[in-house]
Amino acid sequence: MSGAIVDEVLAPAGGDLAIAAAGPWQLARRRLLRNRVALVMAGLLAVIVALCLGAPLYAHHIAHTDPFRSNLDGTTIANGKRVPVMVQSTQGLGLGVTPIGPTWDVHHYFLGADGQGRDVAARLLYGGRNSLLIGTSAALITCFLAVLVGVVAGFFGGLVDGILSRLLDVVWAFPVYLLAISLSTVLIARGFSLGPLHLTSGSLLLPITIIGLVYIPYVARPIRGEVLSLRRREFVEAAIGLGASNWRLLWSDILPNVVTTAIVLFPLMLAIDMLTEAALSFLSIGVQEPKASWGSIILDGQDLLYTRPAVALAPGIAIALTVLALNVLGDGIRDALDPRAKLRKTKDD
Amino acid sequence: MLRFIARRFVSMIFVLFSISVLSFLIFFATPGVDPAARIAGRNADQQTLKAVRHDFGLDRPLPVRYALMMKKLFITRDLTSYVNRGAKVIPQVTQAAPVTLSLVFGAAVIWVIASIAMGMLAGVFRGTAIDTTVMIVGLIGISMPVFWLGEVVNLITQSRLHGSVFSWVPPLGYVPFTHSPWGWFKALLFPWLTLSILYIGIYARVLRSAIVEAQEEDYVRTARAKGLTERRVLFRHALRTSLIGFVSLFGLDFGALVGGGALLTEVVFGLHGVGKLTFDSLQNLDLPVILATVMYAAFFVVVANAVVDLVYAWLDPRVRRA
Amino acid sequence: MRNRKSLIALALVAVIGVVATGSSSARTTSHRGGTLKLLANAAGGTLDPQVNYTLQYWQLYQATYDGLLAFQKAGGSAAFNVVPDLASSYKTTNGGKSWVFTLRKGIKFSNGRPVTANDVVASFRRIFKVKSPTAGGFYNGIVGASKCLKTPATCTLAGGISGKGNTVTINLTAPDAEFKYKLAVPHASILPASAPPNDAGSTPIPGTGAYYFSSYDSNKQLVMKRNPYFHVWSQLAQPDGYPDQITQSFGLTVEAQVTAVENGQADWGYDFPPADRLNELGTKYAAQTHLTPLTAFWYAPMNVNIPPFTSLKARQAVNYAIDRNALIKIFGGPKLATPSCQVLPPGFPGNKPYCPYTKNPGATWSAPDVAKAKQLVNASGQKGAKVVVISANDEVQKAVGVYLASVLNEIGFKATAKAISGNIAFTYPQNTKNHVQINVAAVVPGLPAASDFLHILFGCESFHPGSDSSINMAGFCNKPINAQMNAALKLENTNFPKANAMWAKIDRQVTDQAPMATMFTPKHLDFVSKRVGNFVFSKQFYWLVDQSWVQ
Repeated sequence: MSGAIVDEVLAPAGGDLAIAAAGPWQLARRRLLRNRVALVMAGLLAVIVALCLGAPLYAHHIAHTDPFRSNLDGTTIANGKRVPVMVQSTQGLGLGVTPIGPTWDVHHYFLGADGQGRDVAARLLYGGRNSLLIGTSAALITCFLAVLVGVVAGFFGGLVDGILSRLLDVVWAFPVYLLAISLSTVLIARGFSLGPLHLTSGSLLLPITIIGLVYIPYVARPIRGEVLSLRRREFVEAAIGLGASNWRLLWSDILPNVVTTAIVLFPLMLAIDMLTEAALSFLSIGVQEPKASWGSIILDGQDLLYTRPAVALAPGIAIALTVLALNVLGDGIRDALDPRAKLRKTKDD
Repeated sequence: MLRFIARRFVSMIFVLFSISVLSFLIFFATPGVDPAARIAGRNADQQTLKAVRHDFGLDRPLPVRYALMMKKLFITRDLTSYVNRGAKVIPQVTQAAPVTLSLVFGAAVIWVIASIAMGMLAGVFRGTAIDTTVMIVGLIGISMPVFWLGEVVNLITQSRLHGSVFSWVPPLGYVPFTHSPWGWFKALLFPWLTLSILYIGIYARVLRSAIVEAQEEDYVRTARAKGLTERRVLFRHALRTSLIGFVSLFGLDFGALVGGGALLTEVVFGLHGVGKLTFDSLQNLDLPVILATVMYAAFFVVVANAVVDLVYAWLDPRVRRA
Repeated sequence: MRNRKSLIALALVAVIGVVATGSSSARTTSHRGGTLKLLANAAGGTLDPQVNYTLQYWQLYQATYDGLLAFQKAGGSAAFNVVPDLASSYKTTNGGKSWVFTLRKGIKFSNGRPVTANDVVASFRRIFKVKSPTAGGFYNGIVGASKCLKTPATCTLAGGISGKGNTVTINLTAPDAEFKYKLAVPHASILPASAPPNDAGSTPIPGTGAYYFSSYDSNKQLVMKRNPYFHVWSQLAQPDGYPDQITQSFGLTVEAQVTAVENGQADWGYDFPPADRLNELGTKYAAQTHLTPLTAFWYAPMNVNIPPFTSLKARQAVNYAIDRNALIKIFGGPKLATPSCQVLPPGFPGNKPYCPYTKNPGATWSAPDVAKAKQLVNASGQKGAKVVVISANDEVQKAVGVYLASVLNEIGFKATAKAISGNIAFTYPQNTKNHVQINVAAVVPGLPAASDFLHILFGCESFHPGSDSSINMAGFCNKPINAQMNAALKLENTNFPKANAMWAKIDRQVTDQAPMATMFTPKHLDFVSKRVGNFVFSKQFYWLVDQSWVQ
């Protein structure tokens, strides 16, 4: 391993010297493009997003189904035969009605039906749109506000830091589920208007804002910590010594590092947000029927877990794949943005 | 140090007060939650309804109601539930606390050990197949909603394979340690594993990226230049700084869990912990219990934050000087 | 020779005789004992029998408390018979306005104290003191009740009730044919005069039943043990029980309850099994699954005072459009429910089958008529209206709500479904301030009387705008129909069958006005563990838990 130190101290290989002339963002991009695993995951993510965006196409033209309409008396084709979508049990006491299971036929109930006789595959795609939208929007709100709060608290310190940190404590300890239940109950009968925003009970803005706000402390604290330690670093003290203003410091020294952290945390937050959305749907305070989200489909599937596990497994797997892709991609981004990448010698170089 | 503790204590009171007021206001702003009709019973007479409201002080102004409830909760400690009348709230919380503590401590032990092992493995062998495999295993853990995972675990251990492989799994519920330590362990094993899976993934990743970063830090290179073995470099220097991020997150998560954050796990596994109490009180819209559990949770979060800040200062000398 | 033969014959007869008389007690003693383990997702609230109004605990009060009269502890329709309980006999005088009861001697509470007339009088006063939910609804006919409703704390029911020796007299302001039922419900349980004058909550009150509540922790479990001072005075009213102990433990999810009963870890779960276990129960565990038709009523009240259901055509459209078979599928299939269009369930006093909202109108429902529904919506002028369907968030109610929203969308409305906490799902739609347009509700009658459905749910007197206790959720107040209801109530005192005929006519009229969309009449499903024997289901208070044995 001592050899590595020598390599790092001496000038790196010629190829790297040529790259060193480019700016940090171009470098990052090139590093990312060389990371094959991350690219594969980005591709997977693109496929998932494309499939979800294509939900209306799938529902109308391929599966010929309306996934928002209950279809308890409907029939479909499985193995060439016409069968009812909801199958009445005829053995024993004849209790229970079971939805049809996966047919693995894209045109007819690919993943089977749910408790209302609706096509699970079509609902899965429409649900993906809502889940991705809620997760992405909430994560954006969280990261943006957390950077704001974390930087202000860490940089200015003192009373400002004290107040902001206590506010973060209140938000973190806040009874989120109570707020969510209350808000969704209040909004049933009447909507709530704030300028251009119109919140009704089924609005997606409700879970987005709640989830977005509640995780701010989760991101703001590490960012605040990073800003605290950055403030004491040599290059910052040097800049102060040179007479740089606060804004200059923030803009060119603190923010780039902090933004890197936020970018790396973003996919993690997206993952957590999608899972929180599922939890809110579990309490029936997320997306409102007949709209779907991956979380609400898991809730639908929970009542069918013993006979039709596909209904709960499919959205769970969808969440897992999306989150996996996001995190590997996030890793790749992190590796690409690492400021000491120039000097690092790894197997990929 | 004493000033630090005093300051934190004051801010803790502030946080608890704000949360209690906010919860109280949110509750009464929600339509349909007025407990009088539910207390009075189905199709109660209008006069009965009025009498019940007066009995429970529901016809007094909001600030008075708030003050009365806080007095009953903290001073006289005889606050009773709206739904299970006569049942005192505080004993409910104190009886539920050991269950949650057992669940959270056990899960924390598992996830800390597992994530440190996995994180270090991935960090040291960064860029290799080991790194990728370990991270993906962790990621799968992060990706599953805990209530779903719990139901699947139950499906397997209580139903499908209960006759064969998992016949030793006891019925769902909590067995007090004082009753039977072995029973306590058996009943909590699967809840521990289910709860920790989510956190192992996150913490392994955090540790890994922190180790990787720290490995490039000046002081680590200095240690290497001094001729220290890689192992020593890792443990004494890289790990110590990596632990900062780890500890920070751990404090937040552990505090939240002890206060009742593992509510979905408790519900799915039938454990009567603080989380389940919170969940039930929210479903029942039982304000006294909601207030008690919310304050309980907030208390732990604030205390955990303060402890984390202390440890933060101890672990990273640079921050101590700040 | 002959002497020995007759001696042997005599001996044989004697032996058979001993065995025969001994075997009836041997039959009960051979199954006596053990602990019956019940499960429930959540506790049922207060344990006070004069306050609690849940099926969950009324089922347990059968074995722990007694009134002057009681519903017979038997299966089938015999369960609707009212038999003397703590009173050995009674008679009505003064044109039905005075009820005179003769108390039995020698009955003791579970704390060892004897039951006296003083306890009876105190118990009736206590109904008002603790503000029982039915104080105003059931017992306001007692002389002095109106004063008690105004000032409950000092309730004396002067002139209304008096007790001397072992005679108790109750005076009513007017004759009431349903009064005997009202004396048989747990709200009229006879408790010790020393019982606290307010809701006892989780502190058990001593009772006269075969069992008593030994402990109650609403987060863990409830325990009932044999009443050491109990002896059987009436096999019909309060029989001896088999298990030595009955427990009800709280907290398990419904899935977990079913699994526990299947594994023999518990004997029965209170909550309705989830849809995905029904098939399993009906096939693998068919011998342990009991189905009993109920006189209950699943319906969707439609608020007649706010759009779009101010329009009669819109309400009728909903009734034509809903596919009751589809709803039954949600509930678990035709073996678990039967479609219904009217208010009174089949087999209930006053019921005459009637269904106008089907493809072939007549006595029963056959198929939905969506085309007609769409026509009606167009004609109503309410097409395109936004509607929110409210339901509780348990599995079945939620699915029903989603289905209803889907149907409303199909016939021309813009509907969404919202599931709210089960704890407020019954009171939230009652308050007009919440502007609930349509919701899902299930009602089980408290008394076996048509008035409990028609008058309570659709009478003007049950509509209180702005109050959480306005059980007439539809806000339906039709003066002519209301007058008929009051007339029928009066007629019950003199001519019960004629009164029932009147109720049948009222049922038709209310159904035609469609303040609700009736869905189906459910059956009750009880899934018990393998070891439970002698399952007896009373239509009034459901499974008689103490009449089953566990060993």
